Amino acid sequence: MAGITIKGLSKRFGAGETAFAALTDLDLVIENNQFVTLLGPSGCGKTTTLRLIAGYLSPDAGTIHADDRLLSAPGSVVPPEARGMGMVFQNYAVWPHKTVYENVVFGLRLRKVPAAEARRKVEETLALVNLTGLESRFPNELSGGQQQRVALARSLVVEPGILLLDEPLSNLDAKLRERMRSELKQLQRRTGITFVYVTHDQAEALALSDRIAVMHGGRLQQYGTPVEVYSRPANRLVADFMGLVNLIPARVVAAHNGGGLVEAEGGLRLALPLPDGAAPGDAVEVAVRPENIRLRAASGDGAPCARITDRTFLGNISEYYATLPSGQVLRVQTHPLQQFAPGETVTIDIDAAQCSVFRP
Amino acid sequence: MTASTPIAEASARPGVAPAAPGHRVRLEHVVMGAAIAALVILVVLPIAALLLGSLVGDRGLSLDHFGEVLTGRLYLTALKNSLVLGAWTGLFSLLVGIVLAFAVSRTDVPGKRLLEITASLSYLSPPFLTAIAFVYLFSPNAGLINVFMRDVAGLPWATFDIFSMTGLVLVTALHTFPYVYLLASSALQSVDASYEEAAQILGASKLRTAISITAPLVAPAILSGTLLAFVNAIALFGSQAIIGLPGRVVTLPTRIYALFDYPPEYGLASALSLVFVVITVAALYLQRAFLSRRSFVTLAGKGGRPQLMPLGPWRWALFAFGVGVFLVAIVAPYATLIAVSISKSWGLDFWKGLTLAHYKFILFDYNVTQRAILNSLMLATVAATLAVLLGAVIGWIDLRTLIPGRKLLDYASLIPLGLPGIVMAVALIQFWLRMPIALYGTLAILLLAYVGRYIPLSVRAANASLRQVDPSLEESAQILGASWATTMREITLPLIRPGLFAGWLLVFVPVIQELSASILLFSSGSITLAVAVFNLYETGYVEPVAALAMINMAIIGLAIFVANKLGGGGIAQRTTGYGAPA
Repeated sequence: MAGITIKGLSKRFGAGETAFAALTDLDLVIENNQFVTLLGPSGCGKTTTLRLIAGYLSPDAGTIHADDRLLSAPGSVVPPEARGMGMVFQNYAVWPHKTVYENVVFGLRLRKVPAAEARRKVEETLALVNLTGLESRFPNELSGGQQQRVALARSLVVEPGILLLDEPLSNLDAKLRERMRSELKQLQRRTGITFVYVTHDQAEALALSDRIAVMHGGRLQQYGTPVEVYSRPANRLVADFMGLVNLIPARVVAAHNGGGLVEAEGGLRLALPLPDGAAPGDAVEVAVRPENIRLRAASGDGAPCARITDRTFLGNISEYYATLPSGQVLRVQTHPLQQFAPGETVTIDIDAAQCSVFRP
Repeated sequence: MTASTPIAEASARPGVAPAAPGHRVRLEHVVMGAAIAALVILVVLPIAALLLGSLVGDRGLSLDHFGEVLTGRLYLTALKNSLVLGAWTGLFSLLVGIVLAFAVSRTDVPGKRLLEITASLSYLSPPFLTAIAFVYLFSPNAGLINVFMRDVAGLPWATFDIFSMTGLVLVTALHTFPYVYLLASSALQSVDASYEEAAQILGASKLRTAISITAPLVAPAILSGTLLAFVNAIALFGSQAIIGLPGRVVTLPTRIYALFDYPPEYGLASALSLVFVVITVAALYLQRAFLSRRSFVTLAGKGGRPQLMPLGPWRWALFAFGVGVFLVAIVAPYATLIAVSISKSWGLDFWKGLTLAHYKFILFDYNVTQRAILNSLMLATVAATLAVLLGAVIGWIDLRTLIPGRKLLDYASLIPLGLPGIVMAVALIQFWLRMPIALYGTLAILLLAYVGRYIPLSVRAANASLRQVDPSLEESAQILGASWATTMREITLPLIRPGLFAGWLLVFVPVIQELSASILLFSSGSITLAVAVFNLYETGYVEPVAALAMINMAIIGLAIFVANKLGGGGIAQRTTGYGAPA
């Protein structure tokens, strides 16, 4: 069990004009026993970060410590085989020429664990991932989900302090993914191993993590609990990546300590918490999630109106496109039983407490 | 994952051998260093020596040698003959190869298996043995068929003089047409049927589709195959010496060979060799250029195989053509060699008094052929093993490390493709004669020649297999605590084993029949199988030559059989298509 401390970590690939900054100046503290997810779109630097932690890459700048042990610094990298970590790869990387048992026992053999004890540990671990009885199968005789469990068992059996997981669920079908998701979470709670998990799926990140590090363009955008990154996104990139969001351009009308009033084109006014230093006249963007807008029949009580322009029934919710008089289109999610017809004029209530304001 | 900036993900993938903390010497660095050094000694230094040798003359450094080989009548004739030979052989290979490829890949011609076997066997048959067999049939005075036509059938005009450019072209094309066939048929089969179906649904007729869709897609592959046929045709010393020299058709390899008659003209030989290299490299450059345009064929989507074209009665004409090629390329030479090897004395009534005495002679009585067989077996085994191991390390460096200059290493391993066998021999002689170690005339220099000549094959084979093994398979062993050596032994080598066996065979088969380089490098102690065949033939032996040729063929057949047994099996099936999850 170990925590990871990352300071000022940078990595570039290539040289000269084709050089590409995969990771820039990353600071991250991963606490012991936590489930931390590196989240972001393709090319955001999350896999690079994971491979730097594993020791497959050496940093151009910065350091990585596991507890007090210096693992990586420019020009001096503890090789992966000496880090005592585990890693589960996106493509499982289950060795096709070894049986399930041989795959799992590999790390124990390297650690010179006596045969009887090794067998016991392998059996325990296989039971942990529900693979009992499949010891003598070859990987090509297993389903994708089973191969995934073999990869997990192979990493867990050596009892690593840190387990790195690189999009481990992305190759599974939707149902299986959901099941493995909850199993992974339970596994982490039970073993107390520090999990560092890479994914581009924000739902997966929200469901699994103690903390999420949202990354974009090689930089850390926000590091916080799932609730924080979802409801209090640090910037527009995070807001956009964490789920559907309406972005309404507006202008600050009044500002006081930590809060203020903004007005969007067409007269929509909202009282909101404002970012530090916002002054009247500043252009801002208001981010509001579709579930934080409510629709009701037109009332004429002075609340803003909108016209329904499209409706999609999604089963557990209904999604509406509501067009404001300014022409701005808002996506709104409501209870499926609440029904409006396209063309209908409705009154909208925006939950200002759940909005975020960004400078464009 | 949508690719906004795929560079990061792509560059992050290859497993980079991490630098060790401190300056401890690690096994992988020693192995990699040794492989790089080996490649330099095998390829780079001999080429440098060849260049130097071509420039050093009586007056110090000069271009005198080049001046002479580019103006002297003897050399220009050789150059012209080589180009004529290459061009005609290329053309014949193109015609035969394309017809067979089309028949097998796209029509309902019967007996496809026979046509495929014809192409493979023609490719595997040592061309100098085919040449010898045709000499036994068509030499102007004693050739069996010529004798029959003249003396028995009374048709003196129906004889054929094999000792001519025509004869040389025909015999050479029998060996080179498979290059066109293999590339053309793989291209024809990999053209996604949906490309053609898309044209047809738009209203294009079968013919129109073939001309405007299929032909442009496969043309680069076919041209590339033709150029390979050209390059290989002009490099074959054996058939050019056996058929060309008696017919006074002197070519570049035989001219270079003649320059080693006493007193040897090393400088001229080096200069002429470099001229030869320029032609070969130019053709290979064109070939690569054509082949690179073919990539869109191999990237075919998931569409089905192309539909086969029903030919009606014409399929029997095509079948007859295929059988004709089979008879000329396979049956005629093999049957002749077998018949000669068991006849008491080759002639019209050879079937009277069949005997195995010639086999007994070469296997048990004559120590030169015994030594040659043992030498060749040993050399081929060692050379193939070394080449495969070296290829695996070079391929690994290229694909799995970020060592600067690793691409250069990969290119260096391809250089020998541009070196005809006899040129490789001249380069090795130039290099090792300057060295204090006396390698010339030993088995060691032959070994160097073989490993050097065929290293491109083993590097390609290793490279292809390593590409099938996702780096994460090695990385997951590493993070569990496995050292480099353990990872190689437990993970990488077992996974690429089938590919390595294929590579081994790819080197073993040509080495056991290697003549072009051996002919300049052997001594009586280090004589090889092919050289022994050639020497016996030149000395006027007939029947023992055929027996020795059959031994040569038997060894090749056995090697293929054994390698299939060892390399195939369960592992091959289990690892097929591995790399990404199913």
